[in-house]
Amino acid sequence: MHHEAFAGSVRNPFTSGRWIMEPKPQNIWGKSHATWFTCMGVGAALFLNRVLFDLELGKVLGITVAEWLSLVVIGVGGLILIADLGKPLHFWKAYRNPLTSWISVGFIADIVFCVLAGLWAIPSLELGGVNALGWLPWAGNKPLGLLFQFLAGTACLIIIMYPGLVLASSGSIPLWNSALVPLQYLAFGFNSALGLAYLSARVGVGPIPSPVWLPVLVFLYGIGLLFLLLHLLESWYRHETGRFSVLRLIHGDVRNQFVFGALGLGVIVPLALIIASAFNSSSSLTLLAITGLVGVAGNWFSKLAIIRAGTYAPFL
Amino acid sequence: MKRWGMVIDLARCVGCYACTVACKEENGTAAGVWWAPVYEKEVGTYPTVKRMFLPTLCCHCKDAPCLKACPTGAITKREDGIVLIDEDTCCGTRACVAACPYGAITFVERAQGEFGKELTPHEKATMKMKSGVAQKCTFNVHRIDEANYEPACVQTCPTKCRIFGDLNDPESEVSTLIRNRNGQQPRAELGTDPSVWYLR
Repeated sequence: MHHEAFAGSVRNPFTSGRWIMEPKPQNIWGKSHATWFTCMGVGAALFLNRVLFDLELGKVLGITVAEWLSLVVIGVGGLILIADLGKPLHFWKAYRNPLTSWISVGFIADIVFCVLAGLWAIPSLELGGVNALGWLPWAGNKPLGLLFQFLAGTACLIIIMYPGLVLASSGSIPLWNSALVPLQYLAFGFNSALGLAYLSARVGVGPIPSPVWLPVLVFLYGIGLLFLLLHLLESWYRHETGRFSVLRLIHGDVRNQFVFGALGLGVIVPLALIIASAFNSSSSLTLLAITGLVGVAGNWFSKLAIIRAGTYAPFL
Repeated sequence: MKRWGMVIDLARCVGCYACTVACKEENGTAAGVWWAPVYEKEVGTYPTVKRMFLPTLCCHCKDAPCLKACPTGAITKREDGIVLIDEDTCCGTRACVAACPYGAITFVERAQGEFGKELTPHEKATMKMKSGVAQKCTFNVHRIDEANYEPACVQTCPTKCRIFGDLNDPESEVSTLIRNRNGQQPRAELGTDPSVWYLR
């Protein structure tokens, strides 16, 4: 049997198209999920870089750009998720199953982060040069403030990993079902966040990051590439449908997103720009700022490609 | 305690799709939504190739991955093993569709009739038109609860290839068939322990 007429209003990868028992490309998640996952990774890594390594990226209205950006980016990521739901007004129910659902865990972590990071940032707010809320009991390095910072940072660790864990916990789709997916999310989240520090410096908002960070950036891109390649190898050898997905990534319908997007913009171009910056001191910062932008785009493509290439294995 | 389950004898299925249609009629699903599709599969190698029909439905797994993935707790399992989706609690993340290895869950983005938004009188009377939610087979729980009837797909099958019964009763027809004919669970390696078994 063949049913295409209502493919746009109903989504089930198995019953769309011909009813043949064969590997079925998933058709339920796509660009909005890639955007949501990217926002969560970049936003959380920005905040962690801020609290762990003091990468503030400058200040706006007394609050560090890293805090502003992390709050805005994670908030936007959450809104994208809500807009993509079948019942957006029911989004608040997503806290109900944290024992087994990574989406539920992530939802709680998002809320914890937004509330605590927001509270932690507020005492630093300066309007018209006046710090009106500096009296708050958690301002500065007071114990309550440190607790907020610690809890918001812990929530960020979850936020950066949980989108990958959502995919990795799905045994139905062999390509996604790998611990290397959340590890890639970790590496790509941090390299994008660090790249944005150079962009912030280039546009004159933040200071130029210490030279120490350059080898770290190279390491993060390198480890991201390593995780990506190991993921492909693992999928290729572990499951027949995983191999089918890898073929889709390399020369199938997801080739452009993977080869030019994830590999090209996500790893090769940034690494080439970093190397070029080492030999061109006059435009070094500009090249690294471009690395920041290109890296975020590549990060998004890496997620989109893996999501799109997800394929269900035939079940009998 | 009972554990409802189904045995599907693939040797008997002739691919008439009567189960698919009976399910649709019984449950009033919207256009494009199929809770009990029958897939085709080629088996063997040339020149001894044959086409096999694969009737399916929700496997009502003992360790249901959809239930684990659902963030709102909309998916629950009854004591008799039947896994159900509460459409009023579902928020439409599609995590259950991603998690189900059997393609048993359909996300109804926009429910429509067979002729689009305008419904026929029959559709108006019978069709479930909830949009933005996940749906799946219920083992016709309303029939079981009300009168201990078999699911419509079982009752309608002309070749009796679908057999319904209590998996926990070793003397039931389903348990006997699984034991005697070496029943096979779909994607058993995932450890979901489906309540639907296949006989080849």
